[in-house]
Order: sequence, then structure tokens, then C-alpha cells
Amino acid sequence: MKYELVAGFETHVELATNTKIFCSCTTEFGGEPNTHCCPICIGLPGTLPKLNKKVVEYAIRAGLATNCEIAEISKMDRKNYCYPDLPKAYQISQYDKPLCEHGYIQLSNGRKIRILRIHIEEDAGKLVHRRGDTLVDYNRGGVPLIEIVTEPDFRSVDEAKEYVEKLQLIMRYIGVSDCRMQEGSMRCDVNISVRPEGSEKLGTRTEIKNMNSITFIAKAMEYEYGRQVDLIESGEKVVQETLRYDDVTNTTSSMRGKEDANDYRYFRDPDLVTINVPREKVEQIKEELPELPEEKKNRYIDELGLPEADASLLTKYRKIAEYYEKASEGTKNPKTAANFIIGQIFRSVETESEKEEFNVSVSAENLNELIILLDSGKIRMNLAKSTLDKMLETGKKASELIDESDMGGLDENTLLDLCKQAVENNPKAVSDYLGGKEKAVKAMVGFVMKNSRGKADAALAEQKIIDMIKNT
Amino acid sequence: MVTKDEIMKIAILSKLSVGEDEIDKLTEDMGEIISFAYTINKAADIESDFDNINNLSNVLREDEVVPSMEREQILKNAKDSDDGCFMVKNIMK
Amino acid sequence: MNESKIAQLHKGLVNKEFSCMELTEKYIEAINKDNEALNAYVTVTPETAVETARKVDEKIAGGKEIGLLEGIPMTLKDNISTNGIRTTCCSKILEDYTPIYDATVWDILKKQNAILLGKTNMDEFAMGSSCENSYFGGAKNPHDLGHVAGGSSCGVASAVGGNIAVYGLGSDTGGSIRQPASFCGIVGMKPTYGAVSRFGLIAYASSLDQIGPITTSVEDTAIVFDAIAQYDKMDSTSQGRKGAPVCDSLKNDIKGMKIGIAKEYFEGIRDDVRKSVEDAIKVYQTLGAEIVYFDLPSLKYALPVYYIIACAEASSNLGRYDGIRYGYKAVDYKDVNDMVKKTRSTGFGEEVKRRILLGTYVLSSGYYDAYYKKAQNLRGKIVQDFRNVFESCDVILAPTVPMTAFENGHAVSDPVETYQTDICTVPVNICGLPAVSVPCGFDSDGLPIGMQLIGNSFEEARILNAAWQYENAADKYKAAGFGVKY
Repeated sequence: MKYELVAGFETHVELATNTKIFCSCTTEFGGEPNTHCCPICIGLPGTLPKLNKKVVEYAIRAGLATNCEIAEISKMDRKNYCYPDLPKAYQISQYDKPLCEHGYIQLSNGRKIRILRIHIEEDAGKLVHRRGDTLVDYNRGGVPLIEIVTEPDFRSVDEAKEYVEKLQLIMRYIGVSDCRMQEGSMRCDVNISVRPEGSEKLGTRTEIKNMNSITFIAKAMEYEYGRQVDLIESGEKVVQETLRYDDVTNTTSSMRGKEDANDYRYFRDPDLVTINVPREKVEQIKEELPELPEEKKNRYIDELGLPEADASLLTKYRKIAEYYEKASEGTKNPKTAANFIIGQIFRSVETESEKEEFNVSVSAENLNELIILLDSGKIRMNLAKSTLDKMLETGKKASELIDESDMGGLDENTLLDLCKQAVENNPKAVSDYLGGKEKAVKAMVGFVMKNSRGKADAALAEQKIIDMIKNT
Repeated sequence: MVTKDEIMKIAILSKLSVGEDEIDKLTEDMGEIISFAYTINKAADIESDFDNINNLSNVLREDEVVPSMEREQILKNAKDSDDGCFMVKNIMK
Repeated sequence: MNESKIAQLHKGLVNKEFSCMELTEKYIEAINKDNEALNAYVTVTPETAVETARKVDEKIAGGKEIGLLEGIPMTLKDNISTNGIRTTCCSKILEDYTPIYDATVWDILKKQNAILLGKTNMDEFAMGSSCENSYFGGAKNPHDLGHVAGGSSCGVASAVGGNIAVYGLGSDTGGSIRQPASFCGIVGMKPTYGAVSRFGLIAYASSLDQIGPITTSVEDTAIVFDAIAQYDKMDSTSQGRKGAPVCDSLKNDIKGMKIGIAKEYFEGIRDDVRKSVEDAIKVYQTLGAEIVYFDLPSLKYALPVYYIIACAEASSNLGRYDGIRYGYKAVDYKDVNDMVKKTRSTGFGEEVKRRILLGTYVLSSGYYDAYYKKAQNLRGKIVQDFRNVFESCDVILAPTVPMTAFENGHAVSDPVETYQTDICTVPVNICGLPAVSVPCGFDSDGLPIGMQLIGNSFEEARILNAAWQYENAADKYKAAGFGVKY
């Protein structure tokens, strides 16, 4: 029998606010343990939370970017459970009135992954176990999170991968999170069940907690799918439980059933007041929302005529897209800037995080100037390319690197003169060419290019040289 | 009537341990308290929109960083700490 | 200096009849002499008191103007956080906890050079009506050391009633300011929820807790309230005082003021207490007030509603005492979870544990609807009923406590019977209303009886006006005098 995978995601995304959700401590990543703390975020008796305005705005932004409805009335609740990384023994979260509900993200195969809800909450601190001692650092405690919960709409691991990538992209674009999975600013819990293909009934699900890499998510899902299918085929039952994925052994294992079944005893947090979201505010945030990556990519393909692969590369990070749009502004062919960026500029930004930052030595304005020179016919493509390399090295403007004398093409006589010299100075190449080695002509073209400082039209020079050899 | 098992269950949720010698008396006391609390169910069912006492909304803070406290102060009241962290020592080793 | 009212002491300081140092030392000596018997203070801070007194004297000597509360010796209930001064909530679990920040109310008073004499006794985590739940043992009633000072702000009431502090700040979640004030024959006010910042007040039940003054006169209560009722950006539920300082309208004529009486408040009240409050009604009639009678049937649910909500919030608020960051920590344990359980089981007293368990129970799945949710709905109903009452009257008059101070050790072993003590005080906490308790007589043993004036939200000015007029008119309790009886 064939089995269908059914999965849903709960994704925690750390918001890129300056301060924590309920106090004014910094949210900066890293830092010596317990140096980003105050009486409020370590839960000293008598302290009270005060909600960060930005957190509400960012959550609404995230909701709008994922097609959610934004609640008019929302509130904060306490989720009670005792664990050393949770200083108040409750997490301030949202229970029955989340800020955003009923959204979706569309995948490339056309399927819509429904988003059940997005709510805001505080992150916990970090535990480190060392030789049996438990050490607690509350720097991360109180960092704002949004939790994005989907319906069990995933039917394959590929869909899951695409969803996570898309979500990451969207959150980065709208500026609410850097979504750095390796730093834990985006973490996924996946619930998985299997069922015989064609069946409508959901199977018993397990939940794999806290994964912070797309590769691991895919591997864990594949493993868990196989494990559940094996269980069912051998007549056993899938037990509803919470699992941990071990990336070394590539297996999942049960997170030790705590002595107490969880009962979070949610109730409204009496220290915080109602959140009221006026419709005008939602409209305002909607208007301020940047063009989303999907829309942008489609526009690049449909309106600018870029190949899909190029459009994907250019829209992957918001800064690259911004750079591209500035560099191609007012140029004849939108592909020119795309080719320069992907072909040459990308060489200086190798890693993903460098691409995300996109701190390159050539400014978008300077690249734009170069392309305009090229468009106007004042310089030729090969000079433009070599100039761009120099610009990348020196950070100088194109106009500083190209002499007046370099501007404009070579006149016919000078070109013929140089071609003649090339033929005369390279007897071996001439005989090679005549002997059938057509490539030998390239050496002579190189001579012309070198001596014209790149100004010559290489194709034209090649034709003239061939003519000269043949006519002698 | 509340049972010993129920009391044990809420004790676990409350992170309190109840000794064998305490459980009977505690169950009796709690039974009385819970019955007293249950008397509200004599009142007619009503829906009320009660949320917070003064009906406040949108009390928010600007996203501006205030320097955090010295770590020495943060750890001052901890019984055990090490490497700048709060610590629960493994006393079994 | 024998007068212990704020305004008179202030005048004495300004006119250099005595120095702030003399005044402070007098109180420190009184504490040394009387505190052993009263057990009002759990921590005494003479060094900081003397240091502040010196500053105030320098200021006076330099011809500078001083504020009304400047240089006046006072105390704080031991659940109000004081930076560098241990704050225990009278619990073993916080026995050696020293806050690293100041509660907003203390920050306000400290900046006004209030002289903090020390921190005062209370029922553990403010849970109790007799002070006998204090880890440090109960505070005694200055009128009769054989009786309790009430609860939970017993230490403040005992200290102020015994004149070993001029005034103090307590907290009131279900009557914890008004009940001990009533037992000790002094004045105590629970302000409107949100009038005084809760930042730094160690929480019992967040939606009910409110800090307020305990003093020997209505005027002193008004002075202290005017000082501490400020908007605080650290407390999301804070609004501060609305309107003019309450001191401005204290002595206004109350002719035509409508004073409401609900018969439900008088059910199950001891006869002598009822009689005293009825006498007070007569005093008001002579002052020209109009007495209005009405029913408040939902009041009978107030007590269980209060206990459900208070304990639910408490079970969550007290979850943080796990021994890791502060406070008592068990020394012998198997693992982290075991450490937390042992810490809490030995660190908390019996009543605190019972309330945590009740709170956990009413919030847990399967019980939430019948208890917590139902209680919240009824809370809404009671709020609405009070709102309606205030459409036809200005203030409500009621007994503060159904009885007078119990004998030491008498506090019944039956927890539910003990809860009945709070029957008259809890409704205002449920509704977030202001209420002031003022003395209105004595029982046959010479123990004080109190009555409370309840106002609509943010109408402290009106209840204090009514209270001042009564205090001014009634002199029967004054004859008995204040102070410790030996």
C-alpha cells in the first residue's frame, strides 16, 4: 500500500525589534550570559510587563504578508508551565485571540498552505548542561517571537522545504526578522502523520520539535515518515508523542515524557491590557508593506523578461533586489544589470549571509553609470566588463577608470593598422591558422585588443584579420 | 467530591510535593475549599464581556533600548551561579 | 512632638520646634521599646532613616522649603520592593531576598525624603486575615496585645496604631488594608485599581492588588494618597489620580450627599458592629446626607468569586519561586525538578500552598469553565451591579469586617470559615473601586470597630470627604485614644 504524508508546521520567528517584548533590554544576539537582562526579564518579584509597540506592528505586517485577517481585538494570555528557562513559570503568549488568523502561502505547484494563526509571545532563556550542572542564561528570555501555525496541509517533504524557504524570504523582505536558522531566530516544529493514499481520515500524529535547518527538517520528515509507515505495515500503532531529531544519527527519539501531562492553564494576563487594532492602522501597515518576493519575481520575469533563474537569484534577498532596481534604472535592457550582478558582482559575495547583507564595493549608482556608458555606445562590452572588475577592486567610479581617449570606438584605419601589425608580428599563428587551426586567430585578436586597450570591436577585428590572411 | 488523585495531579502541576502523611488532611481541606468555590454555580449563567477592570487598551511602549543591568546585580540573589549564569548544581556527582 | 499627624509634624519641622533627627530618633527608640511586643517590624532600617533625617535637617537649616511628607517617619509592608533592603513577603522562600530595584511608590516617597523606619509584618504573600500566616509570627493589636492586628497588612496597622510609625503603605487584595486598619482603630484606604502603581509590589493577585495608605487620620490618608497616586509607565494598568488633589475637597460640605446602604452588607454581621455602623448612619443624617437603600443580590457570590480569581492569579504569580534566581533553595535534591518541588514545598507556608492548589485546580482543564470562567462572568455581573448603584448614590457605607480583632491563635483552623472574615471587603477589589475604612466605635472589650465608605472608580475625593466629615463629627472613639496598652 502507498502512504501519503500529512504534515503541519509551527514556526517560531524572532522579531527584529531593538528591544525585548516586555522590557527595554536589547535583543542583540550573543553577548556574555545574562548581560542583556533586567529585573523584568529575569522575572523578579513585583516586576510588570509592558508591551513593545513594534512587536504588534511586526506581527500585523507578517500577517498581511501571509494573507491573514487581522483581529480587531486581541489580548495576551499566560501559558503556565514550570521550567528553569522560563523565569516567571509562565510564558506570556496569545491563546484564543491571536493577532492574525486565516492566511495562506501559495506554493509553486499551486497548492495553498493555509495559515491557521500567527500570535506573539516571549522567547525563553537558554539552558546549558555542563557536567550535570544546569546553567541558565536569560539573554534570550523575553525576545519577541511570532508563532506561525499552519493547517496540516503539507503532502510532501518538498512542499515543506519550499514553505520554509518562502516563509524565510517573506519575513526577511518585510523586515520583521532575519530568520537566521543557525542562530535560532527561526525554528520549526513539524507534526506528521501518514495515511493510506486516498484516505480522508487523519492518522495519529507525532511532533518533531525545534529544528533549525531546512536540511534537517527534510531529513527528519523523511525519517519520521518511514518510521510511521513501517510501524503501520508491521501492524503496530503510531503513538502520539513529541520527538526530538538527532542530526548525527538521523533518527527521531521521544522527548522523555515528563511526569506531568501538560496542562497550560491559559488565562488572560491581568498585568496587560486589551490590544485594539483599528482598521486604519491595518490599512496603513498594508500600504507601507514592500513588494513581496513572489510578486517581485513574477514582475521581473513577466515585465522585464528576465529568465526565471536570474529573477530568483535577484529576489532572494531584499537588498539584492533593491540594488538591482537601482542599477538598472534608466538602462536600455534590464538584463544587462542582471548579468553584471550575477556574473561579476556575485563573486564578491559568496556566502548566503554575505548575499543577504550585500555589502559590495561597487554602489548601485556606479554600476548604473557604467551601464549607461555602455548603452550610449561610448564603451564596448569587453571594456565595460574589465572596468567593472577594476571597480570591484578599487571601489572607484567607472568614469574615473575610463579615459576620455578610451571613449568611443576605434576608427577603421587604426583598426586595419593594428590588424596588419598583428598578422605581421605573429607568423606562427598565421601558419597555424592556414594549417587548419582556426583558433589561432584568437591570439592575433588578443594582440589587437591589447594594443587598442580594449577599445576595438573584437568580432570586427577577427573578420579583418581572417580577410588579411586569406588575401595574402 | 475531590479525590486524592486529583489533589496529587494539581500538586504536580503546582510543583509542590505532598507527603503520604499530609495527603488525607489536605484532600479534606481542599475538598471543603473547592466545594465553597463551587457555590458560584448556583448563580444563573450569564455572559459578561469583562476583560480588564478599567477597560484599558493599547498601553504600549516605544521600541527604545535602555541599557541592561550589571550582571553582578542580576545574579546577586542567586544561591548558585557560575560563568555568569544562574546554576542548579548537580549534587549527585 | 506627641502629636503624630503628618500636617502637625510637618509644621513642627518647618518651625524648627524639633529637628528631623530628633523626630526620627524618637521613632527608632519607640520601635526598640515596643516592637518586641507588637512584632510589627520584620526589618528595621535605622541607618538609612538617620541618614535621610540628616539630609532633611540640612535642607531645613539651609532655609529650603520641604514637602509635606519630607522627613516624616514611615514604614512599608514587606511586599513592597526596596532596593538594597530585604523584602521577604514574610515567607521563608524570600527570607533573604534583597531587591535590586525600587517599587514605584517607594521611588516616589524616597525622592521626597520620606524616612523609612523599616519593613513591616504581613501574612505570607498577603494571604490571610490574622497575620498568623507570617513566617515571622503575627503582629499584635496595639489596643490589646492578646489580639491580632488583622491581615494581611498587619505590621503596618500595628506600627501605625501603636505609633511606632507615622504612616505606612500596605496592599489590599481582598481587604488587607481596610481589615487591619479596622482592627487597630485607624484609617486605611484601598484606592481605585490603577490609581497607584503596582510596579514593585510583589504580586498576590494582579487584577485585585492595590497599594494604599494606612494612617491615624483621614487627612493623613488623603495626603499620602495625593503623593503616591501617579501615573507610572512601568505599570500597564496604571492611570494615576484623576482630578484635583483629594486634600482640596476633604472638608467640603456633604449636605445632600447620597449615602447608599445595601442590606446584604449587614447579613451575618455581629450585633455590636452593626450597631456602630447604624450609629454612623445617624451621624451622616445629622450632617445632612441623604440615606438611600438598595439591594445588591450578586454580593452573595463575591466571596467565592474573589477566592477563585485571587487564587488562580496567585497560582501563576507564585510559580516563579523555584530557587534558581532568588530566594530559598532546597539543598538536598535529585535533579532540577526535584529541587524546585522541594524548594516550594518547604519554602511556602500551608495557607499559601492551599491557595496555589486551589488556583491551579480552578484553571486546569475540565474545571476551568465551572470555576474560573464562571467567576469571571460573575465578576462582570458584580461590576455592573455596582455601576448601577452609583447611578443613584454617591458613596456606599458598609461595615469593614463582620467582627472585631480575634484573639491570638483563635484564627480558626477551618480555612473556609476564616475566609468569611473578608465578606465585606472583597467586593470593592472585584470591582476595582476605592474604599476607605474609618473607626466608628469599640466593642465591649474596647476593641475598635471600623466602617468603610466605598466610592465609584477614581472618586477617592468623595469617599475621603465623607470620611473626614464623619471623623470630625464623631468623637466617641477619640476619647479612647490610640497607642499601646500594657
